Amino acid sequence: MNDVHDLDPQRFYEEVHSFEFWFQAVEGYLGGTTWGRRPETVDAPMAAEDRDRLITVLCNYCVGESAALEGASGLIVVAPDRLAKVFLSTQVVDEGRHLEVFHHRLRELGVADPEAEVERRASRSLQTFRRRLLDLVASKDWEAAIFAQNVILESLEFAVFQDHARDADPVTAEILRGVVKDERRHMGFGENELGRRVAAAPHIRARIGQIKKELDHLVLESLEETVRTLGMPRDEDERLGRIYLESVARLGFGS
Amino acid sequence: MADFLSGYSIQNWLESCPQGYLEGTVYGHKPGEQEIELLKTNPVLHEDAIRTTVQLVVGERAALAASSGLINSAPDEASKRFLATQTLDEARHVEIFTQRLYDLGVRKEDLESTIARFANPNLVKFAGVLLEKVDKKDFVAGVVGQNIVLEGMAFSVFEMMYALNEPMNPKFAQTLSGTIADERRHVGFGENRIGSLLKEHPERKPDIEKMQKDMSYFMLATFADAFGETRAVDELERIGQERSHAQFHGADLGAMDPKEMEDLLAATVLKEFKTRLGRLGLQYQTPARP
Repeated sequence: MNDVHDLDPQRFYEEVHSFEFWFQAVEGYLGGTTWGRRPETVDAPMAAEDRDRLITVLCNYCVGESAALEGASGLIVVAPDRLAKVFLSTQVVDEGRHLEVFHHRLRELGVADPEAEVERRASRSLQTFRRRLLDLVASKDWEAAIFAQNVILESLEFAVFQDHARDADPVTAEILRGVVKDERRHMGFGENELGRRVAAAPHIRARIGQIKKELDHLVLESLEETVRTLGMPRDEDERLGRIYLESVARLGFGS
Repeated sequence: MADFLSGYSIQNWLESCPQGYLEGTVYGHKPGEQEIELLKTNPVLHEDAIRTTVQLVVGERAALAASSGLINSAPDEASKRFLATQTLDEARHVEIFTQRLYDLGVRKEDLESTIARFANPNLVKFAGVLLEKVDKKDFVAGVVGQNIVLEGMAFSVFEMMYALNEPMNPKFAQTLSGTIADERRHVGFGENRIGSLLKEHPERKPDIEKMQKDMSYFMLATFADAFGETRAVDELERIGQERSHAQFHGADLGAMDPKEMEDLLAATVLKEFKTRLGRLGLQYQTPARP
Protein backbone atom coordinates (compact mmCIF):
# COMPACT_ATOMS: atom_id res chain seq x y z
CA MET A 1 0.00 0.00 0.00
CA ASN A 2 1.26 3.50 -0.80
CA ASP A 3 -0.30 6.51 0.96
CA VAL A 4 -3.82 5.65 2.03
CA HIS A 5 -4.78 9.30 1.72
CA ASP A 6 -4.45 8.97 -2.06
CA LEU A 7 -7.35 6.50 -2.15
CA ASP A 8 -10.88 7.54 -3.05
CA PRO A 9 -13.16 8.03 0.01
CA GLN A 10 -14.82 4.59 -0.16
CA ARG A 11 -11.53 2.72 -0.68
CA PHE A 12 -9.96 4.79 2.10
CA TYR A 13 -12.84 3.89 4.42
CA GLU A 14 -12.47 0.19 3.62
CA GLU A 15 -8.70 0.26 3.96
CA VAL A 16 -8.52 1.95 7.38
CA HIS A 17 -11.20 -0.32 8.84
CA SER A 18 -9.43 -3.57 7.95
CA PHE A 19 -7.42 -6.06 9.97
CA GLU A 20 -4.61 -5.60 7.43
CA PHE A 21 -4.39 -1.87 8.10
CA TRP A 22 -4.47 -2.38 11.86
CA PHE A 23 -1.72 -4.97 11.65
CA GLN A 24 0.54 -2.78 9.51
CA ALA A 25 -0.05 0.13 11.90
CA VAL A 26 0.69 -1.68 15.17
CA GLU A 27 3.57 -3.67 13.70
CA GLY A 28 5.29 -0.32 13.17
CA TYR A 29 5.41 0.54 16.86
CA LEU A 30 4.86 -2.74 18.70
CA GLY A 31 7.33 -4.84 16.70
CA GLY A 32 10.20 -5.83 19.02
CA THR A 33 8.40 -4.78 22.20
CA THR A 34 7.22 -6.95 25.08
CA TRP A 35 4.45 -5.68 27.36
CA GLY A 36 4.57 -2.41 25.43
CA ARG A 37 8.28 -1.64 25.84
CA ARG A 38 11.61 -2.40 24.23
CA PRO A 39 14.01 -4.65 26.18
CA GLU A 40 16.60 -1.86 26.45
CA THR A 41 14.21 0.49 28.29
CA VAL A 42 14.88 -0.08 31.96
CA ASP A 43 13.40 1.20 35.19
CA ALA A 44 14.86 4.26 36.88
CA PRO A 45 15.07 4.36 40.70
CA MET A 46 11.77 5.60 42.19
CA ALA A 47 10.96 6.91 45.67
CA ALA A 48 8.32 4.90 47.58
CA GLU A 49 5.92 7.85 47.57
CA ASP A 50 6.26 8.31 43.79
CA ARG A 51 5.73 4.61 43.23
CA ASP A 52 2.57 4.63 45.31
CA ARG A 53 1.28 7.64 43.39
CA LEU A 54 2.03 5.92 40.08
CA ILE A 55 0.16 2.81 41.23
CA THR A 56 -2.95 4.94 41.93
CA VAL A 57 -2.70 6.58 38.53
CA LEU A 58 -2.26 3.24 36.72
CA CYS A 59 -5.19 1.74 38.64
CA ASN A 60 -7.38 4.53 37.32
CA TYR A 61 -6.02 4.01 33.81
CA CYS A 62 -7.10 0.37 34.18
CA VAL A 63 -10.67 1.49 35.01
CA GLY A 64 -10.73 3.55 31.82
CA GLU A 65 -9.24 0.75 29.71
CA SER A 66 -11.58 -1.82 31.17
CA ALA A 67 -14.54 0.44 30.34
CA ALA A 68 -13.15 0.89 26.83
CA LEU A 69 -12.71 -2.88 26.39
CA GLU A 70 -16.26 -3.63 27.53
CA GLY A 71 -17.67 -0.68 25.60
CA ALA A 72 -15.95 -1.49 22.31
CA SER A 73 -16.80 -5.21 22.50
CA GLY A 74 -20.44 -4.44 23.32
CA LEU A 75 -20.66 -2.13 20.33
CA ILE A 76 -19.68 -4.78 17.77
CA VAL A 77 -23.15 -6.29 17.72
CA VAL A 78 -24.68 -2.79 17.32
CA ALA A 79 -22.28 -1.66 14.56
CA PRO A 80 -24.17 -0.88 11.35
CA ASP A 81 -21.82 -2.61 8.90
CA ARG A 82 -19.05 -5.16 8.55
CA LEU A 83 -16.27 -2.57 8.28
CA ALA A 84 -17.30 -0.90 11.54
CA LYS A 85 -17.45 -4.34 13.20
CA VAL A 86 -13.95 -5.22 11.99
CA PHE A 87 -12.57 -1.86 13.12
CA LEU A 88 -14.15 -2.25 16.56
CA SER A 89 -12.62 -5.72 16.82
CA THR A 90 -9.19 -4.19 16.32
CA GLN A 91 -10.08 -1.63 18.98
CA VAL A 92 -11.16 -4.43 21.35
CA VAL A 93 -7.75 -6.05 21.09
CA ASP A 94 -6.03 -2.64 21.51
CA GLU A 95 -8.01 -1.96 24.71
CA GLY A 96 -7.31 -5.48 25.97
CA ARG A 97 -3.61 -4.89 25.30
CA HIS A 98 -3.66 -1.60 27.22
CA LEU A 99 -5.25 -3.31 30.18
CA GLU A 100 -2.66 -6.07 29.98
CA VAL A 101 0.37 -3.77 29.81
CA PHE A 102 -0.93 -1.61 32.69
CA HIS A 103 -1.55 -4.73 34.80
CA HIS A 104 1.93 -5.95 33.97
CA ARG A 105 3.39 -2.57 34.97
CA LEU A 106 1.47 -2.70 38.27
CA ARG A 107 3.04 -6.09 39.00
CA GLU A 108 6.49 -4.70 38.21
CA LEU A 109 5.78 -1.94 40.73
CA GLY A 110 5.10 -4.56 43.41
CA VAL A 111 1.32 -4.98 43.19
CA ALA A 112 0.58 -8.68 43.76
CA ASP A 113 -3.09 -8.62 42.71
CA PRO A 114 -3.72 -5.81 40.20
CA GLU A 115 -7.45 -6.54 39.87
CA ALA A 116 -8.02 -6.12 43.62
CA GLU A 117 -5.79 -3.03 43.73
CA VAL A 118 -7.71 -1.41 40.87
CA GLU A 119 -10.95 -2.06 42.75
CA ARG A 120 -9.48 -0.46 45.88
CA ARG A 121 -8.00 2.67 44.29
CA ALA A 122 -10.47 3.45 41.47
CA SER A 123 -11.92 6.95 41.32
CA ARG A 124 -15.67 7.01 41.99
CA SER A 125 -16.42 9.47 39.19
CA LEU A 126 -14.56 7.29 36.71
CA GLN A 127 -16.57 4.28 37.83
CA THR A 128 -19.78 6.30 37.37
CA PHE A 129 -18.57 7.26 33.89
CA ARG A 130 -17.93 3.58 33.13
CA ARG A 131 -21.45 2.61 34.22
CA ARG A 132 -22.96 5.41 32.12
CA LEU A 133 -20.94 4.38 29.07
CA LEU A 134 -22.01 0.76 29.41
CA ASP A 135 -25.64 1.88 29.81
CA LEU A 136 -25.38 3.71 26.49
CA VAL A 137 -23.84 0.62 24.87
CA ALA A 138 -26.54 -1.64 26.36
CA SER A 139 -29.24 0.69 25.00
CA LYS A 140 -27.80 -0.02 21.51
CA ASP A 141 -27.77 3.71 20.74
CA TRP A 142 -24.95 3.66 18.17
CA GLU A 143 -24.29 7.40 17.87
CA ALA A 144 -24.50 8.12 21.60
CA ALA A 145 -22.33 5.14 22.55
CA ILE A 146 -19.70 5.81 19.87
CA PHE A 147 -19.56 9.42 21.02
CA ALA A 148 -19.12 8.43 24.68
CA GLN A 149 -16.59 5.73 23.81
CA ASN A 150 -14.56 6.96 20.85
CA VAL A 151 -14.75 10.69 21.40
CA ILE A 152 -15.16 11.38 25.13
CA LEU A 153 -13.33 8.44 26.73
CA GLU A 154 -10.63 8.28 24.05
CA SER A 155 -10.07 12.04 24.22
CA LEU A 156 -9.75 11.88 27.99
CA GLU A 157 -7.25 9.05 27.76
CA PHE A 158 -5.39 10.72 24.92
CA ALA A 159 -5.07 13.99 26.85
CA VAL A 160 -4.06 12.41 30.14
CA PHE A 161 -1.71 9.76 28.74
CA GLN A 162 0.06 12.16 26.40
CA ASP A 163 0.54 14.64 29.20
CA HIS A 164 1.72 11.97 31.65
CA ALA A 165 4.16 10.47 29.11
CA ARG A 166 6.09 13.79 29.09
CA ASP A 167 7.33 13.45 32.66
CA ALA A 168 6.79 9.77 33.49
CA ASP A 169 9.62 7.33 34.29
CA PRO A 170 11.14 5.82 31.10
CA VAL A 171 9.24 2.51 31.20
CA THR A 172 5.81 4.03 31.90
CA ALA A 173 6.46 6.76 29.32
CA GLU A 174 7.23 4.22 26.59
CA ILE A 175 4.13 2.17 27.41
CA LEU A 176 1.99 5.31 27.33
CA ARG A 177 3.38 6.47 23.99
CA GLY A 178 2.34 3.15 22.41
CA VAL A 179 -1.12 3.43 23.94
CA VAL A 180 -1.54 7.02 22.70
CA LYS A 181 -0.83 5.85 19.13
CA ASP A 182 -3.74 3.41 19.39
CA GLU A 183 -6.00 6.12 20.86
CA ARG A 184 -5.37 8.33 17.85
CA ARG A 185 -6.75 5.60 15.60
CA HIS A 186 -9.81 5.13 17.81
CA MET A 187 -10.51 8.87 17.92
CA GLY A 188 -10.19 8.98 14.13
CA PHE A 189 -12.84 6.29 13.82
CA GLY A 190 -15.19 8.18 16.17
CA GLU A 191 -14.67 11.44 14.32
CA ASN A 192 -15.19 9.84 10.90
CA GLU A 193 -18.20 7.77 11.92
CA LEU A 194 -20.00 10.60 13.71
CA GLY A 195 -18.93 13.27 11.23
CA ARG A 196 -20.59 11.39 8.36
CA ARG A 197 -23.74 10.81 10.39
CA VAL A 198 -24.02 14.39 11.61
CA ALA A 199 -23.56 15.64 8.03
CA ALA A 200 -26.39 13.36 6.87
CA ALA A 201 -28.71 14.06 9.82
CA PRO A 202 -27.85 17.35 11.59
CA HIS A 203 -30.34 16.74 14.44
CA ILE A 204 -27.93 14.12 15.79
CA ARG A 205 -25.60 16.93 16.85
CA ALA A 206 -28.11 18.27 19.38
CA ARG A 207 -28.49 14.85 21.03
CA ILE A 208 -24.73 14.42 21.13
CA GLY A 209 -24.45 17.86 22.70
CA GLN A 210 -26.69 16.77 25.58
CA ILE A 211 -24.65 13.62 26.19
CA LYS A 212 -21.46 15.65 26.08
CA LYS A 213 -22.76 18.00 28.75
CA GLU A 214 -23.55 15.08 31.04
CA LEU A 215 -20.29 13.22 30.46
CA ASP A 216 -18.03 16.31 30.54
CA HIS A 217 -19.19 16.80 34.08
CA LEU A 218 -18.12 13.26 35.06
CA VAL A 219 -14.80 13.55 33.22
CA LEU A 220 -13.89 16.87 34.87
CA GLU A 221 -14.95 15.52 38.26
CA SER A 222 -12.77 12.44 37.84
CA LEU A 223 -9.79 14.62 36.89
CA GLU A 224 -10.37 16.74 39.97
CA GLU A 225 -10.67 13.65 42.17
CA THR A 226 -7.46 12.16 40.77
CA VAL A 227 -5.50 15.38 41.19
CA ARG A 228 -6.77 15.71 44.78
CA THR A 229 -5.92 12.06 45.60
CA LEU A 230 -2.43 12.46 44.22
CA GLY A 231 -1.83 15.71 46.11
CA MET A 232 -1.00 17.57 42.90
CA PRO A 233 -1.33 21.40 42.67
CA ARG A 234 -4.98 22.54 42.52
CA ASP A 235 -4.69 24.06 39.03
CA GLU A 236 -3.50 20.74 37.54
CA ASP A 237 -7.05 19.44 37.12
CA GLU A 238 -8.04 22.66 35.34
CA ARG A 239 -5.07 22.31 32.99
CA LEU A 240 -5.87 18.64 32.23
CA GLY A 241 -9.55 19.52 31.86
CA ARG A 242 -8.64 22.19 29.32
CA ILE A 243 -6.50 19.72 27.35
CA TYR A 244 -9.37 17.24 27.33
CA LEU A 245 -11.95 19.82 26.18
CA GLU A 246 -9.59 21.03 23.45
CA SER A 247 -9.12 17.43 22.26
CA VAL A 248 -12.88 16.93 21.97
CA ALA A 249 -13.28 20.31 20.25
CA ARG A 250 -10.59 19.40 17.69
CA LEU A 251 -12.78 16.45 16.71
CA GLY A 252 -15.59 18.87 15.92
CA PHE A 253 -17.58 18.46 19.13
CA GLY A 254 -16.87 21.69 21.01
CA SER A 255 -19.32 23.38 23.36
CA MET B 1 -5.79 -20.69 36.68
CA ALA B 2 -3.69 -17.53 36.47
CA ASP B 3 -0.76 -19.54 35.06
CA PHE B 4 -2.82 -21.17 32.34
CA LEU B 5 -4.37 -17.81 31.40
CA SER B 6 -0.96 -16.17 31.12
CA GLY B 7 -0.42 -18.47 28.12
CA TYR B 8 -3.39 -16.77 26.46
CA SER B 9 -2.12 -13.19 26.87
CA ILE B 10 -2.32 -10.57 24.14
CA GLN B 11 1.48 -10.45 24.16
CA ASN B 12 1.60 -14.17 23.28
CA TRP B 13 -1.11 -13.70 20.69
CA LEU B 14 0.79 -10.83 19.02
CA GLU B 15 3.94 -12.92 18.82
CA SER B 16 2.33 -16.13 17.59
CA CYS B 17 -0.44 -14.91 15.30
CA PRO B 18 0.05 -11.51 13.56
CA GLN B 19 3.83 -11.66 14.00
CA GLY B 20 3.90 -15.45 13.50
CA TYR B 21 1.90 -17.49 11.02
CA LEU B 22 0.16 -14.46 9.48
CA GLU B 23 3.41 -12.58 8.86
CA GLY B 24 3.74 -11.70 5.18
CA THR B 25 0.21 -12.75 4.25
CA VAL B 26 -2.54 -10.66 2.66
CA TYR B 27 -6.09 -11.68 3.56
CA GLY B 28 -4.60 -14.88 4.99
CA HIS B 29 -2.64 -16.02 1.90
CA LYS B 30 0.57 -15.22 0.03
CA PRO B 31 0.42 -11.90 -1.85
CA GLY B 32 -0.51 -12.33 -5.50
CA GLU B 33 -2.11 -15.77 -5.17
CA GLN B 34 -5.38 -16.22 -7.06
CA GLU B 35 -8.41 -18.50 -6.92
CA ILE B 36 -8.10 -21.31 -9.47
CA GLU B 37 -9.51 -20.49 -12.86
CA LEU B 38 -11.94 -23.43 -12.96
CA LEU B 39 -13.82 -22.04 -9.94
CA LYS B 40 -14.37 -18.76 -11.77
CA THR B 41 -15.26 -20.13 -15.20
CA ASN B 42 -17.39 -23.22 -14.49
CA PRO B 43 -20.85 -21.98 -13.38
CA VAL B 44 -21.64 -25.04 -11.22
CA LEU B 45 -18.31 -25.02 -9.39
CA HIS B 46 -18.45 -21.21 -9.12
CA GLU B 47 -21.84 -21.26 -7.41
CA ASP B 48 -20.74 -24.12 -5.20
CA ALA B 49 -17.65 -22.17 -4.07
CA ILE B 50 -19.77 -19.10 -3.32
CA ARG B 51 -22.36 -21.15 -1.42
CA THR B 52 -19.65 -22.81 0.69
CA THR B 53 -17.89 -19.52 1.41
CA VAL B 54 -21.16 -17.88 2.46
CA GLN B 55 -21.57 -20.54 5.18
CA LEU B 56 -18.07 -19.66 6.42
CA VAL B 57 -18.98 -15.96 6.58
CA VAL B 58 -22.24 -16.74 8.41
CA GLY B 59 -20.43 -18.96 10.94
CA GLU B 60 -17.68 -16.39 11.51
CA ARG B 61 -20.16 -13.55 11.93
CA ALA B 62 -21.85 -15.58 14.66
CA ALA B 63 -18.49 -16.27 16.27
CA LEU B 64 -17.63 -12.55 16.17
CA ALA B 65 -20.94 -11.59 17.80
CA ALA B 66 -20.52 -14.31 20.43
CA SER B 67 -16.90 -13.69 21.39
CA SER B 68 -17.34 -9.90 21.63
CA GLY B 69 -20.61 -10.36 23.54
CA LEU B 70 -18.95 -12.68 26.06
CA ILE B 71 -16.33 -10.11 27.09
CA ASN B 72 -18.76 -8.22 29.29
CA SER B 73 -19.88 -11.33 31.12
CA ALA B 74 -16.38 -12.80 31.64
CA PRO B 75 -15.68 -13.21 35.37
CA ASP B 76 -12.04 -12.05 35.26
CA GLU B 77 -9.79 -9.63 33.40
CA ALA B 78 -7.53 -12.30 31.89
CA SER B 79 -10.50 -14.05 30.27
CA LYS B 80 -11.72 -10.71 28.92
CA ARG B 81 -8.30 -10.10 27.38
CA PHE B 82 -8.20 -13.55 25.76
CA LEU B 83 -11.68 -12.97 24.35
CA ALA B 84 -10.41 -9.66 22.97
CA THR B 85 -7.89 -11.59 20.87
CA GLN B 86 -10.55 -14.09 19.86
CA THR B 87 -12.84 -11.22 18.83
CA LEU B 88 -10.16 -9.91 16.47
CA ASP B 89 -9.43 -13.42 15.17
CA GLU B 90 -13.11 -13.87 14.32
CA ALA B 91 -13.32 -10.43 12.70
CA ARG B 92 -10.27 -11.36 10.61
CA HIS B 93 -12.02 -14.56 9.53
CA VAL B 94 -15.12 -12.57 8.53
CA GLU B 95 -12.83 -10.26 6.55
CA ILE B 96 -10.86 -12.96 4.73
CA PHE B 97 -13.89 -15.07 3.81
CA THR B 98 -15.76 -11.96 2.67
CA GLN B 99 -12.70 -11.12 0.57
CA ARG B 100 -12.89 -14.62 -0.94
CA LEU B 101 -16.44 -13.86 -2.06
CA TYR B 102 -15.12 -10.72 -3.76
CA ASP B 103 -12.27 -12.76 -5.31
CA LEU B 104 -14.91 -15.16 -6.67
CA GLY B 105 -16.60 -12.24 -8.38
CA VAL B 106 -19.33 -11.21 -5.92
CA ARG B 107 -19.80 -7.46 -6.26
CA LYS B 108 -19.57 -5.39 -3.08
CA GLU B 109 -23.08 -4.06 -3.52
CA ASP B 110 -24.35 -7.66 -3.81
CA LEU B 111 -22.60 -9.00 -0.71
CA GLU B 112 -25.53 -8.98 1.71
CA SER B 113 -28.06 -10.24 -0.83
CA THR B 114 -25.66 -13.06 -1.79
CA ILE B 115 -25.29 -14.02 1.87
CA ALA B 116 -29.06 -13.88 2.38
CA ARG B 117 -29.61 -16.04 -0.70
CA PHE B 118 -27.15 -18.79 0.15
CA ALA B 119 -27.04 -18.79 3.99
CA ASN B 120 -28.18 -22.16 5.27
CA PRO B 121 -31.25 -21.71 7.54
CA ASN B 122 -30.07 -24.49 9.85
CA LEU B 123 -26.72 -22.78 10.31
CA VAL B 124 -28.57 -19.58 11.21
CA LYS B 125 -30.60 -21.55 13.81
CA PHE B 126 -27.36 -23.12 15.13
CA ALA B 127 -25.98 -19.61 15.67
CA GLY B 128 -29.28 -18.49 17.21
CA VAL B 129 -29.03 -21.08 20.02
CA LEU B 130 -25.57 -19.80 20.91
CA LEU B 131 -26.36 -16.09 20.64
CA GLU B 132 -29.37 -16.50 22.93
CA LYS B 133 -26.99 -17.65 25.70
CA VAL B 134 -24.63 -14.77 24.96
CA ASP B 135 -27.51 -12.27 25.08
CA LYS B 136 -28.44 -13.59 28.52
CA LYS B 137 -24.82 -12.99 29.61
CA ASP B 138 -24.47 -16.69 30.42
CA PHE B 139 -20.67 -16.94 30.31
CA VAL B 140 -20.28 -20.66 30.99
CA ALA B 141 -22.89 -21.78 28.44
CA GLY B 142 -21.67 -19.14 25.98
CA VAL B 143 -18.06 -20.35 26.12
CA VAL B 144 -19.07 -24.02 25.78
CA GLY B 145 -21.33 -23.11 22.83
CA GLN B 146 -18.74 -20.87 21.23
CA ASN B 147 -15.35 -22.38 22.05
CA ILE B 148 -16.24 -26.07 22.23
CA VAL B 149 -19.25 -26.61 19.95
CA LEU B 150 -18.97 -23.89 17.26
CA GLU B 151 -15.17 -23.82 17.20
CA GLY B 152 -14.98 -27.61 17.42
CA MET B 153 -17.25 -27.87 14.41
CA ALA B 154 -15.34 -25.17 12.52
CA PHE B 155 -12.04 -26.89 13.29
CA SER B 156 -13.08 -30.19 11.65
CA VAL B 157 -14.91 -28.50 8.75
CA PHE B 158 -11.85 -26.37 7.99
CA GLU B 159 -9.56 -29.39 8.26
CA MET B 160 -11.66 -31.30 5.74
CA MET B 161 -11.80 -28.30 3.42
CA TYR B 162 -8.06 -27.83 3.82
CA ALA B 163 -7.46 -31.46 2.83
CA LEU B 164 -9.65 -31.01 -0.26
CA ASN B 165 -8.07 -27.70 -1.32
CA GLU B 166 -4.43 -28.21 -0.44
CA PRO B 167 -3.49 -30.12 -3.63
CA MET B 168 -5.33 -27.82 -6.05
CA ASN B 169 -6.05 -24.41 -4.49
CA PRO B 170 -3.04 -23.23 -2.43
CA LYS B 171 -4.54 -19.75 -1.94
CA PHE B 172 -7.67 -20.98 -0.20
CA ALA B 173 -5.77 -23.76 1.59
CA GLN B 174 -3.42 -21.24 3.21
CA THR B 175 -6.35 -19.02 4.21
CA LEU B 176 -7.88 -22.06 5.91
CA SER B 177 -4.66 -23.12 7.63
CA GLY B 178 -4.44 -19.73 9.41
CA THR B 179 -8.00 -20.04 10.64
CA ILE B 180 -7.37 -23.63 11.81
CA ALA B 181 -4.45 -22.35 13.91
CA ASP B 182 -6.74 -19.73 15.46
CA GLU B 183 -9.53 -22.23 16.15
CA ARG B 184 -7.10 -24.56 17.88
CA ARG B 185 -6.23 -21.75 20.33
CA HIS B 186 -9.89 -20.93 20.94
CA VAL B 187 -10.82 -24.54 21.66
CA GLY B 188 -7.85 -24.80 24.04
CA PHE B 189 -9.01 -21.75 25.99
CA GLY B 190 -12.56 -23.09 26.19
CA GLU B 191 -11.47 -26.45 27.56
CA ASN B 192 -9.09 -24.97 30.10
CA ARG B 193 -11.23 -22.11 31.36
CA ILE B 194 -14.61 -23.81 31.53
CA GLY B 195 -13.42 -26.89 33.43
CA SER B 196 -12.80 -24.86 36.58
CA LEU B 197 -16.02 -22.85 36.23
CA LEU B 198 -18.10 -26.02 35.87
CA LYS B 199 -16.55 -27.38 39.05
CA GLU B 200 -17.82 -24.25 40.81
CA HIS B 201 -21.26 -24.47 39.18
CA PRO B 202 -22.15 -28.14 38.58
CA GLU B 203 -25.86 -27.22 38.61
CA ARG B 204 -25.34 -25.62 35.17
CA LYS B 205 -24.50 -28.90 33.46
CA PRO B 206 -28.00 -30.07 32.36
CA ASP B 207 -28.80 -26.76 30.69
CA ILE B 208 -25.45 -26.69 28.89
CA GLU B 209 -25.83 -30.31 27.78
CA LYS B 210 -29.23 -29.46 26.28
CA MET B 211 -27.66 -26.55 24.41
CA GLN B 212 -25.00 -28.90 22.98
CA LYS B 213 -27.75 -31.29 21.86
CA ASP B 214 -29.73 -28.49 20.14
CA MET B 215 -26.65 -27.03 18.47
CA SER B 216 -25.51 -30.49 17.33
CA TYR B 217 -28.90 -31.12 15.72
CA PHE B 218 -28.73 -27.92 13.67
CA MET B 219 -25.11 -28.66 12.78
CA LEU B 220 -26.03 -32.09 11.40
CA ALA B 221 -28.94 -30.54 9.51
CA THR B 222 -26.52 -28.00 8.01
CA PHE B 223 -24.16 -30.78 6.92
CA ALA B 224 -27.08 -32.73 5.42
CA ASP B 225 -28.19 -29.66 3.44
CA ALA B 226 -24.67 -28.73 2.33
CA PHE B 227 -23.64 -32.17 1.09
CA GLY B 228 -27.12 -32.80 -0.31
CA GLU B 229 -27.06 -29.58 -2.34
CA THR B 230 -23.56 -29.80 -3.76
CA ARG B 231 -23.26 -30.69 -7.43
CA ALA B 232 -19.49 -30.26 -7.48
CA VAL B 233 -18.60 -33.95 -7.48
CA ASP B 234 -20.98 -34.70 -10.39
CA GLU B 235 -19.73 -31.67 -12.27
CA LEU B 236 -16.07 -32.66 -11.89
CA GLU B 237 -16.94 -36.07 -13.26
CA ARG B 238 -18.96 -34.56 -16.12
CA ILE B 239 -16.11 -32.36 -17.30
CA GLY B 240 -13.55 -35.12 -16.82
CA GLN B 241 -11.61 -33.33 -14.10
CA GLU B 242 -9.86 -35.80 -11.84
CA ARG B 243 -10.59 -35.34 -8.12
CA SER B 244 -7.66 -35.08 -5.75
CA HIS B 245 -7.19 -38.07 -3.47
CA ALA B 246 -6.94 -36.05 -0.29
CA GLN B 247 -6.77 -37.91 3.00
CA PHE B 248 -8.98 -36.97 5.95
CA HIS B 249 -8.93 -39.10 9.09
CA GLY B 250 -7.67 -42.08 7.09
CA ALA B 251 -10.28 -41.83 4.33
CA ASP B 252 -9.70 -40.99 0.65
CA LEU B 253 -12.00 -38.01 0.02
CA GLY B 254 -11.44 -38.31 -3.72
CA ALA B 255 -13.14 -41.72 -3.74
CA MET B 256 -16.18 -40.75 -1.64
CA ASP B 257 -19.60 -39.53 -2.70
CA PRO B 258 -21.08 -36.47 -0.90
CA LYS B 259 -23.20 -38.59 1.47
CA GLU B 260 -20.15 -40.56 2.58
CA MET B 261 -18.25 -37.30 3.12
CA GLU B 262 -21.15 -35.94 5.17
CA ASP B 263 -21.19 -39.05 7.37
CA LEU B 264 -17.42 -38.91 7.85
CA LEU B 265 -17.49 -35.23 8.82
CA ALA B 266 -20.44 -35.66 11.19
CA ALA B 267 -18.81 -38.67 12.88
CA THR B 268 -15.51 -36.79 13.23
CA VAL B 269 -17.09 -33.69 14.80
CA LEU B 270 -19.37 -35.63 17.16
CA LYS B 271 -16.48 -37.82 18.33
CA GLU B 272 -14.46 -34.67 19.06
CA PHE B 273 -17.41 -33.17 20.97
CA LYS B 274 -17.72 -36.31 23.06
CA THR B 275 -14.03 -36.27 23.95
CA ARG B 276 -13.85 -32.56 24.76
CA LEU B 277 -17.10 -32.46 26.72
CA GLY B 278 -16.01 -35.54 28.66
CA ARG B 279 -12.81 -33.73 29.68
CA LEU B 280 -15.01 -30.94 31.07
CA GLY B 281 -17.17 -33.41 32.99
CA LEU B 282 -20.14 -32.86 30.65
CA GLN B 283 -22.23 -35.74 29.37
CA TYR B 284 -22.40 -35.67 25.58
CA GLN B 285 -26.03 -35.70 24.39
CA THR B 286 -26.74 -37.54 21.14
CA PRO B 287 -28.77 -35.28 18.86
CA ALA B 288 -31.69 -36.51 16.78
CA ARG B 289 -30.74 -37.27 13.15
CA PRO B 290 -32.26 -34.61 10.87
